[in-house]
Amino acid sequence: MSEILTKAGLRELAKEWIAQGKVVAGPVQVKPGLVLYAALASADDMVWEGFVRPANSAKELVFPRHELLCRYRTEGNRVELTNGGAEVPAQILLGVRPCDAAALPILDHVFNWDYRDDSYNRRREATTVVTLACASYDESCFCTSVGLGPQAERGSDVMLFDLGEEVEVRCLTDKGRALFAGKTQTSQRTAPPAKGPEPRFSPQRIKQFVDEHFTSPLWQDDTLACLGCGACAYNCPTCHCFDIVDEGNGQHGERVRNWDSCQFAQFTLHASGHNPRPDQGSRQRQRVLHKFSIYPEKFGEILCTGCGNCTRNCPEGQGMLTLLRGIEHAL
Amino acid sequence: MSEVSKFEPKIVAYVCNWCTYLGADLAGTTRLEYPANVRIVRLPCTGRIDFNLLVKALEIGADAVLVSGCHPGDCHYTAGNYHARRRWMLFRELLDTLGFDLRRIHFTWISAAEGRKWQEEITRITEETRKLGPYRELYQKNGFRRPPAPLPSAKPPAPAKSDMAAQEQQLRETCTRLLTDRTVQVVIGYGAGGPVFIRRAEDAGKLVWNMDCQANLTTYLKRKEIQRLGKAAVVVKGCDERGLVILEKESQIDRQTLRVVGMACEGMGQPKCDTCEVHQPRFADEIIGETADVAPGFSPAPATLKGGATATQPLDTLMQMSPAERMSFWAQEFERCVKCYACRQVCPLCYCERCIADKNRPVAIDTSATPKGNFAWHITRAFHLAGRCVGCGECTRACPAGIPLELLNLTMARAAEKHFAYRAGMDPQAEPLIGSYALTDKEDFIR
Amino acid sequence: MPDIYTPDLMEVVGVQRHTADVKSVRTRFQSPERARQFDFRVGQFGMFSVFGYGESTFNICSSSNWKDSLEFCFRKVGRVTEALWRVEEGDTLGFRGPYGNGYPMDKWEGKNLIFLGGGIAMPPIRCAVWYTLENREKYGNITIVYGARTVSDLVYVHELEEWAKRDRVRVIQCVDPGGQTPEWKGEVGFVPTVFERAQVAAENSVVLVIGPPIMIKNTLPILEKLGIGADSVYTSLENRMKCGVGKCGRCNAGPVYVCKEGPVFTMEQLQKLPQDY
Repeated sequence: MSEILTKAGLRELAKEWIAQGKVVAGPVQVKPGLVLYAALASADDMVWEGFVRPANSAKELVFPRHELLCRYRTEGNRVELTNGGAEVPAQILLGVRPCDAAALPILDHVFNWDYRDDSYNRRREATTVVTLACASYDESCFCTSVGLGPQAERGSDVMLFDLGEEVEVRCLTDKGRALFAGKTQTSQRTAPPAKGPEPRFSPQRIKQFVDEHFTSPLWQDDTLACLGCGACAYNCPTCHCFDIVDEGNGQHGERVRNWDSCQFAQFTLHASGHNPRPDQGSRQRQRVLHKFSIYPEKFGEILCTGCGNCTRNCPEGQGMLTLLRGIEHAL
Repeated sequence: MSEVSKFEPKIVAYVCNWCTYLGADLAGTTRLEYPANVRIVRLPCTGRIDFNLLVKALEIGADAVLVSGCHPGDCHYTAGNYHARRRWMLFRELLDTLGFDLRRIHFTWISAAEGRKWQEEITRITEETRKLGPYRELYQKNGFRRPPAPLPSAKPPAPAKSDMAAQEQQLRETCTRLLTDRTVQVVIGYGAGGPVFIRRAEDAGKLVWNMDCQANLTTYLKRKEIQRLGKAAVVVKGCDERGLVILEKESQIDRQTLRVVGMACEGMGQPKCDTCEVHQPRFADEIIGETADVAPGFSPAPATLKGGATATQPLDTLMQMSPAERMSFWAQEFERCVKCYACRQVCPLCYCERCIADKNRPVAIDTSATPKGNFAWHITRAFHLAGRCVGCGECTRACPAGIPLELLNLTMARAAEKHFAYRAGMDPQAEPLIGSYALTDKEDFIR
Repeated sequence: MPDIYTPDLMEVVGVQRHTADVKSVRTRFQSPERARQFDFRVGQFGMFSVFGYGESTFNICSSSNWKDSLEFCFRKVGRVTEALWRVEEGDTLGFRGPYGNGYPMDKWEGKNLIFLGGGIAMPPIRCAVWYTLENREKYGNITIVYGARTVSDLVYVHELEEWAKRDRVRVIQCVDPGGQTPEWKGEVGFVPTVFERAQVAAENSVVLVIGPPIMIKNTLPILEKLGIGADSVYTSLENRMKCGVGKCGRCNAGPVYVCKEGPVFTMEQLQKLPQDY
């Protein structure tokens, strides 16, 4: 026995939620061949088929690319400071993939590591995650290599399974039930289990390599194609490095937080001119170290959900998978 | 009375110290009254005016901007205003494509003796701006809903039928030779999963030549990690090779030590391929393959695709919209920009060791992915490439958010061709566009 | 409720220019309530900011026993420090902190303390020195070897002279060869060399050495020769920081976040870290 809803019915629900003032974010076809998560202006903009996963991640809703921390206003030498924390409306991530949903509980650790990041927590609290399980995968996917899979439930409040004209609805949490209670019909149809890609590498061996071979020439040799942009990090569901800057002038302005990437050359540049990571190899090594060694050591989780966005978005087709398979090959 | 009559426009005037500033001064001392709406910013010379200053004035609340300097021939620094004039000719086109209201951007030559002209111009500009009203459309969506269908873009033709396998074989042999006789220490080429950097002759088999060879590999020449490897050979298509012309002119590559391996290419299935005039590489040291589709040199008419569409159709469609609609279009496109700088990193001509976007003394471009920060970045990038961009299309291909950056670069390329009959990377002898000027540069937009 | 990124407002109560590009600033909390409940351990740092220019990481170089102000000292090298250079008494700054682990002053009780510092590294040593002088009976002999490139690059010079007069304190100032003036009465030589020459008694000692990497590299063999183990030699690391609270992902040296698990480390800990700082 399962609960199902027609796709048209789901769209109607989404319309209702939008009308209620909730922020609903889902996959939108921005141009032919490019699907991105975006806040929906209209439920009609949502797409459910014809793509493996959107090219960006859904983290924007809990960790925006640009966020106001505080506002300042100076008068003479007096400064008036206003907190940035605005009220966050209820928000629904509708149609995210399991690799996006699983990223959220993973990120919870660092944003609450001794110091609690109120803004992140507020947004998390306000978010209900409705995941659309995967029916297919491509050569960039590797969720199964990091302990996830096409129907993984981690981080989801509701799981949806595409049954053709309908979706099967499995509510996993109270938040999920609050959204769908009474909106579904019972059915005998249920989604079969789906198989993901074969595991492409072992995270334990990766950790071992980066811990024991910190100075290996592999880091330089295998990363020559990387151009040092932020396309991988910014579209990654788990990357969370950020920058804090003041924008404005001496009289008034804002202190803001923006996404940042360890791949940029100036990321660790000291004012003295010294840079602990002066080349792309050391920066790429940092990415692997952070995701497969540091985060597991500190928080018991890999900082990666195998979504493959890094490879898909990389202008030169690199991404984590290329480097990780190179490491496996070297071992 | 109505809101309109109470509105006092804010005008920012960037003026040169030696002519216009003195002209304004003269207006004052001879008691010629002019509206107090203008705020004068004095610079030594119009040649010193960074194009971004125009935009910044509008960003911080100006309703109109005036740029004014010495008449051509009278510049205190001999040629500053000539450089400025050329810059403005091109910059106006970029602003137009982006949907800026050009009625609010004015250029004049006012000499130190022309106090009256200053009075007249300021009075005119103030009144015109008063009628236009406050400039509220900047960076806004202005209520225009995005058209549901994407802008028409050219349909790519079927893959080419030339013998790529034979070229691939010859490429591998060339690579083996270049490495074995130590002509180079590294061959930068296409591999199965992306660019490869072949340092040992026995790895030459990793090179491929197929319809996936989209990337412009010349961008790796600027990377110090690659430069460290020693003398390099780079595999280029004709479109990539155009960038080498510019790089050599700008002293970024040493053509004597760089080995260029040119691949004859009948197209990679991208829109740019249908109007390409450099299917056959022109300056390479080794040319692999030959294609009959050779049309070097310069054609003033926009090339026609099969099916009648022109290569510039998306830009033409954009320019048919009103400025406010265009601004709305870009505001919605740039909303997706996350400032990943993939466009910059992938461009062979963006080679500054420290990009202006990464500098903070002063902060020229907000790093934030906000409307202001994103417009500022893309304006700067497009204009820094004016006359230099060779249209390889990598920036658009690289953008993870699908922003049609090529429209900005195409604007500059079209402007360069229209005003100066100049096409970047075609003629190695041609003078760089922005660094030079001509006494005959048009100034129909300058009063 | 203030969150972890909203700074406290501080009033500047004193500024001092030490050299052509080094300045120290004394600040106090605008809110008396906040001043009352604030406490920190010497060796911790804070994110001090000039509104409109940004935040920067500085060690709190005043003793934790001083309840009336927080002091920090900096060299003018970038955007924020250039703005700080212009700051005067009465101005308002932002402060977030205290962050980091601080010096284990309790573990150092009963030990002889050796402080070795170069140039702009004096401020993080200064706070520890004042703290020990204020709890004098808890600590053994104090030796301070402090050097800079030239005489005019020495900072907190008056305090160095003051310390030299205290009970069981030995202060050796030095400048690099060529950096002395005709009037210079101190030593000439690099800090490691001068320290070796000084023949400091090494038993039951703890060393705090802060300075440029080359100075630390040259000091370690000398300490080893004296029989001071790597677990008794401390340093304070610097890495580029932004959040100070272990989230922005920037300051890690290998597996260790300098802002949270440092910046104070023993040599033994540092030797286990990969070259990532």
